[in-house]
Amino acid sequence: MPLGTIERKPPAFFKHGMSSLSKLVVFSILAVVLMVADVRYGVTQPLRATISLMLYPMEWLSMRPQWLFDVTGRFFEGRDDAQAQVQAMTLKLQQQALRSGQVEQLALENLQLRRLLELRERLTSSTLAAEVLYDSADPFTRKVVIDKGALQGVQPSSPVMDDAGVLGQVTRVMPLVSEVTLVIDREQSIPVLNARTGARGVAYGEAGGAPLLELRYMAANADIEVGDLLTTSGVDAIYPPGVPVAVVVKVERRAESVFARILCQPQGRVQGARHVMVLEPLGKQVPARPPHERPSTLPIKGGPR
Amino acid sequence: MIMPRGQQLLLPANPWFIFLSLLSAQLLNMVLNMVLVGNAAWAPDFLAVVLVFWCVHQPQRVGIGVAFFFGIFNDVQQSSLLGQHALSYTVLGYCAVLIHRRLLWFKEPSQSLQVLPLFVLAHVLELLVRMLSGSLFPGWWMLLAPVLEALAWPLVSVLLLAPQRRAPDPDENRPL
Repeated sequence: MPLGTIERKPPAFFKHGMSSLSKLVVFSILAVVLMVADVRYGVTQPLRATISLMLYPMEWLSMRPQWLFDVTGRFFEGRDDAQAQVQAMTLKLQQQALRSGQVEQLALENLQLRRLLELRERLTSSTLAAEVLYDSADPFTRKVVIDKGALQGVQPSSPVMDDAGVLGQVTRVMPLVSEVTLVIDREQSIPVLNARTGARGVAYGEAGGAPLLELRYMAANADIEVGDLLTTSGVDAIYPPGVPVAVVVKVERRAESVFARILCQPQGRVQGARHVMVLEPLGKQVPARPPHERPSTLPIKGGPR
Repeated sequence: MIMPRGQQLLLPANPWFIFLSLLSAQLLNMVLNMVLVGNAAWAPDFLAVVLVFWCVHQPQRVGIGVAFFFGIFNDVQQSSLLGQHALSYTVLGYCAVLIHRRLLWFKEPSQSLQVLPLFVLAHVLELLVRMLSGSLFPGWWMLLAPVLEALAWPLVSVLLLAPQRRAPDPDENRPL
């Protein structure tokens, strides 16, 4: 029999290390401690960031098949298609050039009027373009991963939107990628304003897991109709005001409940967005809240002793 | 070790092959989740299958500790609760080490029936952890995942044992 056919090293006779049961106990306790540290105290971010950085080459590698598919798909797209697209774009650009010229003028006029009225200039937030890499694999939440991270200046809690509306909010920032919790996640909430009536409310992800939003805590007799547009209200100091969030698709007024059940269709492409914008949270620009003054107590009779 | 009669003597397993097979299982999971099915609850977890396979075939090399660390990596990749997969893989590794002497006496199809409860247990554990931490139920489709993993078992067995089934003395007629 040639060498190397069977294991050369016999298993250790006396030194076996820990028994399987004690290993099970030790590692299970470690896992539970990690989970508690993650959920309750949120102290595991450095560990996550490190491991995420180590996993990045593998993620890059596993994105290759799709990338290859896209590239070959684009290659075989006809030249005529491309030319037609260019023509359409040029036409659209010309149409928009006029308007964009007006915008500058309007913005200037608006600024002057606001100054006149001594209003504060409307908050503008800096944006960062990003691409959605993939849906996170965890079936219990609704998250996507984008290709910009802490190194590109993404901040936690930044709002994320696409061309149609709000998508969600950055909830975890890694060095090279970030996780965005979509507005349809059950634990994600967003303050909204009914554009028709001006009523404010808070929308949550639908509890059943459908890709919808739910406008909770609206009275059963509230003035809300199917087709109402909900936009961000801007009272949260995170989202810029006036961005479309959702459209009401179903209003269910139930006799047994004080609140109506209102379902809304998100406006952002929560299930197929590719290119998104990460905005800087407005909280950085809003002046800090004045220090909370303690109500001055009446001087104690007789003064300090 | 007492072996069933008529079973082929296997070559020793290459530690690098074990490590690479675990890595490629992780990669396969990632491709499956990122490109093909998104965050579908029924997507099988091939890393779990390969981990159980090595815990059964090479308990001296791959055990509960390795399973734990791959679980942590999986948690970060899937952006789930940190420790969720670590816990389920730890239990999976323990159960695999428990049954590893008995399991190898059976043919592959009956083996996959015997590892099915392990995968069910792992998924139930994950579900339990997430329900306790307040997540929503991802739907009944998730029952399909352990079944698919058990179905993958014979295939994984053949693939991962192939390098060990090569001839000990390759010649011209048997180059591999």
